[in-house]
Amino acid sequence: MLDVLEKTDVILRLQEDLRRALEKAPEDRRWVMVIDLRKCVGCTSCTIACIAENKLPPGVVYRPVMAEEVGTYPHVTMKFLPKPCMQCDNPPCTPVCPVNATYKNEEGVVVIDYDQCIGCRACMAACPYASRTFDFGLTYTQATPDGFDFVLGQSNAGDYERIANVEYGENRARKGNTSPIGNVRKCHFCLHRIKDGMLPACTTTCIGRATYFGDANDPDSLVSELVASSNVMRLKEELGTEPRVYYLA
Amino acid sequence: MLKKLTYAFGALTLLFGLWGFYDRFAFGHQDANYGSYVVWGLWVAMYLFFAGIAAGGFMIATLDLLFDIPIFKGTGKIALWGSLVSLAAALLSIWLDLGHLERIWKVYLQGNPSSLLFQMVWGYTLFGLLTLAALILQIRKPGSRALKIIMWIGLPLSLFISGAVGALLGVNASRPFWHIGLFPVQFPVFSLASGAAMMLVALGLFGPRDDPHRPQQLWTLSLLTVILMVVKLYFIWADYSQSMYGNVPMNVEAIRQVMFGQYWWAFWIAQLLIGSLIPIIFLSQPKFAKHNSWAGWMGLLVLIGYAFARGLIIFPALTVPELGALTSAFSGPHLSFDYFPSLMEWAVTSGTIGIAVLGFLLGSDFLPLVTKSQKEA
Repeated sequence: MLDVLEKTDVILRLQEDLRRALEKAPEDRRWVMVIDLRKCVGCTSCTIACIAENKLPPGVVYRPVMAEEVGTYPHVTMKFLPKPCMQCDNPPCTPVCPVNATYKNEEGVVVIDYDQCIGCRACMAACPYASRTFDFGLTYTQATPDGFDFVLGQSNAGDYERIANVEYGENRARKGNTSPIGNVRKCHFCLHRIKDGMLPACTTTCIGRATYFGDANDPDSLVSELVASSNVMRLKEELGTEPRVYYLA
Repeated sequence: MLKKLTYAFGALTLLFGLWGFYDRFAFGHQDANYGSYVVWGLWVAMYLFFAGIAAGGFMIATLDLLFDIPIFKGTGKIALWGSLVSLAAALLSIWLDLGHLERIWKVYLQGNPSSLLFQMVWGYTLFGLLTLAALILQIRKPGSRALKIIMWIGLPLSLFISGAVGALLGVNASRPFWHIGLFPVQFPVFSLASGAAMMLVALGLFGPRDDPHRPQQLWTLSLLTVILMVVKLYFIWADYSQSMYGNVPMNVEAIRQVMFGQYWWAFWIAQLLIGSLIPIIFLSQPKFAKHNSWAGWMGLLVLIGYAFARGLIIFPALTVPELGALTSAFSGPHLSFDYFPSLMEWAVTSGTIGIAVLGFLLGSDFLPLVTKSQKEA
């Protein structure tokens, strides 16, 4: 019992790896995510953390957790598979964009320039992982009654949704038809957090410590150890997309 | 009488469409039923449909204006006008589908040339300008050398813009239902058939009634339509049978949805029975094919069948989850693999059809699209 308590939390190791990676030039880093499916309990805390971190509106999700029931009674189990954007090294979504609004940045993360995106959704059709969702401009408080006297109504409760999010280090408040409304959106490995030395929200919030993040170009990083495991796999590898999200099964 | 009724039809569909346009501009895509899984819906299907007629109309126009085939003499301008109106409807439909339609200029000035969408936007722009120029030239200086040059450039361009639609879908390896080499080959065939059917409607129902060439024109167009439709049916057979034998789950599921799933009626009744079988039966018989009204109405059935066929290309491929467990992974608005167009989507499409119908009729009434002798006849 004492041994377990004395063990270093994996998050601390990942943060140390991150600190080391940030000392390198951006083009020398290779951000990858490793998800240990044996540890995932399907709590969806990563999904919720992502929604809160990026202030995602209804219908927009960056990291759903897929659940599947396996076996027949009495030998039944649930399998969970968190699915962020795969940040493919050979992404099918970027060449189809007619305006170069989505591309791999210098760190190899597939990003979207919200001010450039025309909302044609060709990238969504091209993605084999359904990792992109479209922002239809909905809000959680939409069509809810407004308050009166001391009752907090839509106009006040909705303040939270209208406050700017900080994706890509930009401040974007939701109003009218301004971006990211009318844009395609996706997971970006929380680049805005990484820049400030913080791990992606899904990684820090994982209660089973099933999600790992770091620089695969650093041989001392935990993720580079994990991607060399014999039980590592990636989704739809046969398509040649070279995902940067690895699963331990 | 028929023309008045068609004007009324165009006005009514446009009236319904005005509500759709208002909703689209006031609330964006909120009231649409397509979403983040079925990413393209009715408007994209209608874009394919109208763009097909536009390209096919131009191809048909070359019979008169480029190849000088005697029997088609005098039909070039009507074909060009039909092509132009259809192109406008196609571009309106796809423009309204954009999340940020005010940024369309970026495709011209900040575009990505390796994107098929980029190439198509430029292709359509050039195609539209060439069609307009050809129409003006044929009205002002019939048979001029400049017109021939334009038609020579326009013919391969019309092949490109129709084939590129197939390629736009076909390059998506993520969708096995689309990812077949036949797609870019099929679409020019679809387009030419659409153009021929459009001409059957234009000449059979709205052309000068007693043109002496008319029966022969209609018969030739009918034969062309029938042959192309048979080719199209062969394409469907080849595509579906190969896919079923190949047994790739995503592909088989998409075909199952078309044939036996939520879209079965659109496939068996609208596309095959109404849009293919009935027209083939009537148009292959000279006594019907040479008759103005029969040929015109059968042409209309062919177009209706093609409209459904376009939807059956777009929707089923998108209603099959890329990953099986996605269907229940996260719930929310616009996160569904079931798709049927919303009232707002139908309204916008209705308005687009209304604009196309009224545009065509107004042009045929007020532009010199038929020669004087044809009018006198």
